[in-house]
Amino acid sequence: MYNFEYLNPTSLEEVSEVLAHSDGETVLLAGGTDLLDRLKEHLLRPRQVVNLKNVRELYTIERNEGLTIGALVTIADLAADAYIQENYPALSQAARSIATPQIRNMGTVGGNLAQRPRCWYFRGVEYRCLKKGGRKCYAVEGLNKYHAIMGGGPCYIVHPSDLAPVLIAYGARVTISGANGTREIPLEQFFQLPAKDLKKENVLNENEMITRITLPPQPENTYSLYLKFKELESHDFAVVSVAVVLHTRKKRITDASLVLGGVAPIPWKIPEAGALLKGKELTEPAIQAVAEQSVKGSDPLPQNGYKVHLTRNLVRRALTEIQQQL
Amino acid sequence: MSKWKPLEKMKILGKKYPRIDGAEKVTGRARYTYDQFKEGMLYGAILGSRYPAAKIVKIDDSMVWSLPGVKAVLTDVHPTGRVRYVGEEIAAVAATTPEILGEALRLFRVEYEKLPFTLYLEEAMKDEAPRVFPRRSNVNKPRIREEGNVEQGFAQAEVVLEDTFRTQVQIQTPLESHGSMVYWDGDELIIYDSTQAVHGVREGIAKMLDMPLHKVRVICHHMGGGFGSKLQPGIYTVIAARLAKQANAPVRLMLDRQLEFLTTGNRPDSLSRIKMGAKRDGTITAFFAKTYGTAGIGNGAGVRLPIVYSIPNVRHEHHDVYTNAGAARPFRAPGCPQASFAMEQMMDEMAEKLGMDPLQFRLKNDSNPTRQKEWMIGAERFGWHRRKVTPASDPGPIKRGMGLGASIWWPGGRGTKASMKIYSDGSVEVFCGTQDLGTGTRTHIAAVAAEELGLELKQIKVHIGDSNYPRSGASGGSTTSPSVAPAIKNTAEKARQELGKILAEHWNVSPEAIIFSDGYVIASGEAKQRLSWKEACGLLETDVLEVHGEWSEGLSSSGVAGCQFAEVEVDTDTGKIRVLRIVAVADCGLILDRLTTESQVNGGIIQGISYALFEERLFDPQTGAMVNPNFETYKIVGTMETPEIEVILFDEPERGVIGIGEPPTIPTSGAIANAVYNAIGVRIKSLPMTPDKVLQALANQKA
Amino acid sequence: MSEKKNNKVKGITRRDFLKGLGSGAIGSAILTGGGLIPAESKAELLGPGAEKIHGTQKIELLINGKKERLTVEPRTTLLTAIRDKLHLTGTKEVCDRGQCGACTVLIDEKPMLACMMLAVDVRGKAITTVEGLSGSGKLTPVQEAFVEKDALMCGFCTPGFVMAATALLKKNPDPSLEEIKQGLAGNLCRCGTYPKVFEAVKAAAAKMRKGVAHE
Repeated sequence: MYNFEYLNPTSLEEVSEVLAHSDGETVLLAGGTDLLDRLKEHLLRPRQVVNLKNVRELYTIERNEGLTIGALVTIADLAADAYIQENYPALSQAARSIATPQIRNMGTVGGNLAQRPRCWYFRGVEYRCLKKGGRKCYAVEGLNKYHAIMGGGPCYIVHPSDLAPVLIAYGARVTISGANGTREIPLEQFFQLPAKDLKKENVLNENEMITRITLPPQPENTYSLYLKFKELESHDFAVVSVAVVLHTRKKRITDASLVLGGVAPIPWKIPEAGALLKGKELTEPAIQAVAEQSVKGSDPLPQNGYKVHLTRNLVRRALTEIQQQL
Repeated sequence: MSKWKPLEKMKILGKKYPRIDGAEKVTGRARYTYDQFKEGMLYGAILGSRYPAAKIVKIDDSMVWSLPGVKAVLTDVHPTGRVRYVGEEIAAVAATTPEILGEALRLFRVEYEKLPFTLYLEEAMKDEAPRVFPRRSNVNKPRIREEGNVEQGFAQAEVVLEDTFRTQVQIQTPLESHGSMVYWDGDELIIYDSTQAVHGVREGIAKMLDMPLHKVRVICHHMGGGFGSKLQPGIYTVIAARLAKQANAPVRLMLDRQLEFLTTGNRPDSLSRIKMGAKRDGTITAFFAKTYGTAGIGNGAGVRLPIVYSIPNVRHEHHDVYTNAGAARPFRAPGCPQASFAMEQMMDEMAEKLGMDPLQFRLKNDSNPTRQKEWMIGAERFGWHRRKVTPASDPGPIKRGMGLGASIWWPGGRGTKASMKIYSDGSVEVFCGTQDLGTGTRTHIAAVAAEELGLELKQIKVHIGDSNYPRSGASGGSTTSPSVAPAIKNTAEKARQELGKILAEHWNVSPEAIIFSDGYVIASGEAKQRLSWKEACGLLETDVLEVHGEWSEGLSSSGVAGCQFAEVEVDTDTGKIRVLRIVAVADCGLILDRLTTESQVNGGIIQGISYALFEERLFDPQTGAMVNPNFETYKIVGTMETPEIEVILFDEPERGVIGIGEPPTIPTSGAIANAVYNAIGVRIKSLPMTPDKVLQALANQKA
Repeated sequence: MSEKKNNKVKGITRRDFLKGLGSGAIGSAILTGGGLIPAESKAELLGPGAEKIHGTQKIELLINGKKERLTVEPRTTLLTAIRDKLHLTGTKEVCDRGQCGACTVLIDEKPMLACMMLAVDVRGKAITTVEGLSGSGKLTPVQEAFVEKDALMCGFCTPGFVMAATALLKKNPDPSLEEIKQGLAGNLCRCGTYPKVFEAVKAAAAKMRKGVAHE
């Protein structure tokens, strides 16, 4: 790890002050589980590391008509929150599926959304890949069993966040603050494909940060589920994950949201799921149709074709599980 | 030299008791090599080659030197300047803090002339593949094993089967990485090394540094795992010694996890093409195998086929193949898990073809009398009769299956020397230049000594892990217990005789009448004299009784048999295999400590599961670098993957002590593979059996 | 100054040095005894408790109930601080990337990974290492059970497991086998001693519940 200056602001105002003086070599430190990894691998060399853990405003879990979650709320606290378990159960499931007990005590909601990809070429300092200013994506001709089957190109990372697919499925919005003020956008629009910007996975500018997530209230008879497939149950990122949120009235679906994790460089929304399910009951043919739709247009690399089967099967399994609750 | 007492007379051996260094380990007081510290100590690190094949044109260390805190640099650690794998040692540095060290490593400017390379077994075998050694073919000449007449054997066969199996490269990756803390005491070199062989390392390092043996001392009080990879002296030790000399300061050089994965050994992969013939009655008549394996730039990728079963006519041709990868080293039962994965599946395929139950087919072809008993014990406990006859007959996407496999091992041990000191206050010290890898050797030594002297475990102070102590061999190949335990018994017996003489004189009885039991020394027969151990030792007054002993014949033996039964669940939607249950019957001879023995068997099985389902070294074809030199993507069984394991210890105390570390890891992958077939009706013939392979196999079956 | 000596000896100027680093945009970096430190931020932090740490810093950590003074850099991890500066070596360094749990310590009673935290970040927090569990010399029920059940082999993962198990039982005094597995899922053992760990945690839980009932 290279040396850096450590800044310890205690309010958002001060964070803005720091970010205003940043010349693109400032990084924000929350839980540290991703940042320290990259610092140790010499993937970045910041001048300043700004510790956010003393900014109290970032810790709230606030119930309003929906729910506001501060960026510094830990994954463990998120998983343990009774209100979330009751009202946004898939979010609890996703939080519990993340990493390990130790990392859940450290990692934060904001960090989980802004974390960098786990692609082994991106993480290895020896590969000058596209994301690091190089000229090729090593996954294309290299080892790609965990890489993108959708939305890839020219870089084939998958987004590693477990929270993002669920939050998007619930219709979450994200608040971004920076030296130039604050904006709020749908979380779905927070992420962007490599085709748009190779160097980063989201729209955060260098002098910006996530401050909170806002979840809209869910109507009665909402059913939601997060299903994560990992090779090692003990400690692993998703190979494929499925977030489903269904709003129903008298067993009929009034709205449906399906977002996949682990398959694309961003949380991958299947917008057609809504149209396929709206106004219908969750029958076998409907489930089958959504499962097929979820992998339509997938374009696997030589070693990750299995992820297409896996995705289709997991979507079917997730919807079948909900069907049994209905 | 007397035999072991009968088991029913033993007070300690054969029983369950906790290890004597447990408290040190659970409190963090146990100091490993990684924990050694000395005033002024520097942190050392090695720079590994960035390319899999290259000539080192120039190493510029000027930037390294200009970093404050850098105290020593070596740029001549590679003997030829022609590197053959990523991570191969080319330079080294020592600095005052770990942080500076990390930065310093990035300041070497190395100019390479890149050369073509080859990484994978089957590619390296091709004629057009770049050569790893310019003047040698990548494919080594075959080693041939022949028994009987294989042509005749196949002619007798009524059913002949052919199949091909592949296994991956597995890395030992012990939690304590390889490394040493060294310092110079004048012209003497003191080495704390994380090693499986304190004496072997002393001899090796003395040779490499051209020093007399008595000026090198190697210490290893506790070590964090080795599994075969720490049997040899390390280049890192030599580098640390040179850095320490240059800086005139102690140096601790522990490999980082990446170099640990790349440079400290592995279990070679394998490609096994097998042909097997049997008669309709289930007798195997012939076995032919052509196998290949790569030990990287090294040799020793043998696949021990045929394994376990008795076959009259055998021919096996094996070729080691060079690739641009770090050399293999022994890894728990070298050559055996590879062989077992293929063999056990061939056995099941043949049994199916013959319409026989896999267990019956094995019983018919297994000539080991111990295992014949073990098969039955295991089958009963496991509930083998509940195995479904038709594979893939469970309804629904999640399917269960059962499978089995056998274990075997050969070496015994010999050669250990030991000494013992008994003081006039009754305290006892045992000295032995062996080491405890976590197998419990320290505890076993105390147990044997206590058993022989009629004392309790806690009365024995055990000193091991130091080349100043009497010589013992490397702890590998399950040789430690059969080598060490007899030596300790012999030493204790000598101590008993010496002390017995003194007491016999004291009581005026014959030395044969003296008995050591339950903390007392007793004159049996008419004298009826009795002294507590402490009182008896008091007769030594200020003298220390010191005796030397050594391994002797008849207290240990070689040859180990065992078997395992596995039940799995396969999710056909995801391709994931979950091991639900393993029942293992382990051949144990005379058990030293039931608790540590069970732990060893558990460990073998769990490493076997990890090998079967998760672990695999992955090289990037473009750069030759390993993409997964870490515990995130080099996947190892964790708590959630650990199934219910039942260990049945099969005692045969009359055989004396045998080593049990290797055999339990051999059959696990084959047993699991057979259970997977039983569950889903498709064979997975390549390790690790990951979800992608299972899904692919299921898709192929449908098509 | 060793820095000067080194520079002179090797004939390298600071400018060469900075150029050699090659990653650009560090023109304003300076060399000190602790390596390379980037220039100070111009941001002004005036709030109570706000601070900038530049170069080395004397800090105080509350470890095992004792105030420990030590000098660190901002980049010094908690693991390095406790192992290499305070020589509390019970906490193990294995993967150094948050993947194995061997460096598990308790921060305000919660298990966390010392390798993935900066020492400066845990000032004012109660840090417990394995050495702090049995300060009186008497083993805790968890430690006792680990020894009795042989929940360790080489022992290198053991302190991490002991810490994780201690935290787990504090949160859940009567965990099921599944909950034990989940609670310890962040700890890796290469020897494969997990079955005995599960037994030990069960036994410790029973012993602790009994102890509580008696009090």
